[in-house]
Amino acid sequence: MSDVIIFVEQRGGHTRKVTFELATEARKVADMLGGKAHAVVLGGGAPALAEQLKGYPLDVVHVNDDADVDTYLAEPEVDYVEALARELGSSIVLVPNTMHGRDIGSRVAARLKTGIVADVTDLKLEDGKLVCVAPKLGGAFITSSAFKNTEYGVVTVRPNAFAAEAGGAGATVQPIAKPAGKTYVVKIESHVEEAAAEIGLEEAAVIISGGRGLGSAEPFDSVLKPLAKAFGGAVGATRAVADAGWVPYSMQIGQTGKTVSPRLYIAFGISGAIQHKVGMSTSGTIVAVNTDAGAPIGEFADMLVVANALEVATELTRLVEANRSA
Amino acid sequence: MKIAVTVKIVPDTTAEKKIDAATKRLVRTGMNLVMNPYDEYALEAALRLKEQLGADTTVTVVSMYPENGKETIRRALAMGADDAYLISDAALEGTDAWGTGVVLGAALRKIGFDLIICGGLSDDGTTGAVPGALAEDLGVPGIANVRHIESAQGSLKVQCETDNGYQVVNGPLPALISVTMAVGEPRYPSLKGIMGAKKKPITTFTVAELDVAGAAGAANAKTELLSFAPPAGRGKGQVVKPDDSAQGARVIFDYLKERKLV
Repeated sequence: MSDVIIFVEQRGGHTRKVTFELATEARKVADMLGGKAHAVVLGGGAPALAEQLKGYPLDVVHVNDDADVDTYLAEPEVDYVEALARELGSSIVLVPNTMHGRDIGSRVAARLKTGIVADVTDLKLEDGKLVCVAPKLGGAFITSSAFKNTEYGVVTVRPNAFAAEAGGAGATVQPIAKPAGKTYVVKIESHVEEAAAEIGLEEAAVIISGGRGLGSAEPFDSVLKPLAKAFGGAVGATRAVADAGWVPYSMQIGQTGKTVSPRLYIAFGISGAIQHKVGMSTSGTIVAVNTDAGAPIGEFADMLVVANALEVATELTRLVEANRSA
Repeated sequence: MKIAVTVKIVPDTTAEKKIDAATKRLVRTGMNLVMNPYDEYALEAALRLKEQLGADTTVTVVSMYPENGKETIRRALAMGADDAYLISDAALEGTDAWGTGVVLGAALRKIGFDLIICGGLSDDGTTGAVPGALAEDLGVPGIANVRHIESAQGSLKVQCETDNGYQVVNGPLPALISVTMAVGEPRYPSLKGIMGAKKKPITTFTVAELDVAGAAGAANAKTELLSFAPPAGRGKGQVVKPDDSAQGARVIFDYLKERKLV
């Protein structure tokens, strides 16, 4: 028997869709392992978010609006999750496979002297063992891993891999005690928000991506952004485009950038070099628009349309918007 | 100031990968090996700090590889690192992220450091768990996702990437940071650097010398690989050559409609 703990990444009561995906999957994993599903929500705004999580099939939501979580980097959160895992005993910790989630997950695993399986897209029970399925080497291989020599395990879960479904009998929300005797030294001085997509790339269900074929920085804002907005998605880019300074690196998809698996990926003016492919080849449906019929992206896209990328994007925006208001 | 950079030796992204049926691991022999691209950014950040802080700052490269990886490590020296430590031992085959943190931690305690800089991810495993594991093992502050080092004299002030911007973070030294590629494009080794690298020292540690037998190898790992297989193939899709852009957009729209994606 093992319990399941999800780490909720949040700030000021705002979280991402992946939290609800984790909450839904935690129930399934807890049932497989014969344990309970717990969530840990920390920092300013945590109580409001905990109320929201009641609508998901969890057993217990542990909450503390500890100001140290907002003031100090990562360490307080790690302390809380570690303390809860030790209190529960044998348990599986699920964290989102995001920049912050990976940081928390890797430290919790080290504290518990246990293993971590990253970027997991499926969890199942085989011969009494929890099996974690994860694409590796940019989706070129699919791995199945299990924990051993340990009563704990940490799993970083890829956003968009699991469905988020409200339901359940209503979790108990209860306070979690602040771990005693800790001092923190790495301080967050300020947050700076830059112009970025409203939806994080890793969790966007639709990604509209641009490459060097777009010619300049300008169409990312004037053409791709409106199309992404029509889909309720986010804009991504290739490394060449980020290197050219057309977009910030936070928008780069592929090797040394982000790995995404949206339901729909539309690539405009992207040739499809291996360095880009490894970051997006596990997307649900891939459509590419390129003037070159021989572009490598044609080898793995579901559809390659040989045409002017900007013109097609503009017209497609019109069609999608018209469809929405119809 | 003594800066240490952890470097992983990985198969070249563009090389064809093969899996050993018996061990279920990547066949590394005969493969073109490179420095993990993320670690090149870590090294670049270290070299820029050294240029900024002056001659009494040194950059040491630390790497763990089951076989002899000296050739790959030479590139780091050619880029400008001062010396390198290679933990090279067959017993390391199959060591997981937790074990890697312990092994590198033991080496770094021996070597000494004021600041450790890691790449944020590895190109082959993409677990991204080693920097956190290493900071925990050494008991030093760990700062992840650093995109810019504002200052590193006496204490640290850095910018950490977040999903919608960044946060300014400060903390004491010694510390460990892991960097994103926004820290700056890695330099190419100069001819002078390549010649000079041949004379720079590479020290090798074994598992026994570091006293980390309990963390090394597949037997001590906390995870086990059950299978490693190519996914069901994604075939070549359809190629459409529309008469004009409007028709192209219509073809895409209809296709997405059929798949319930709009």
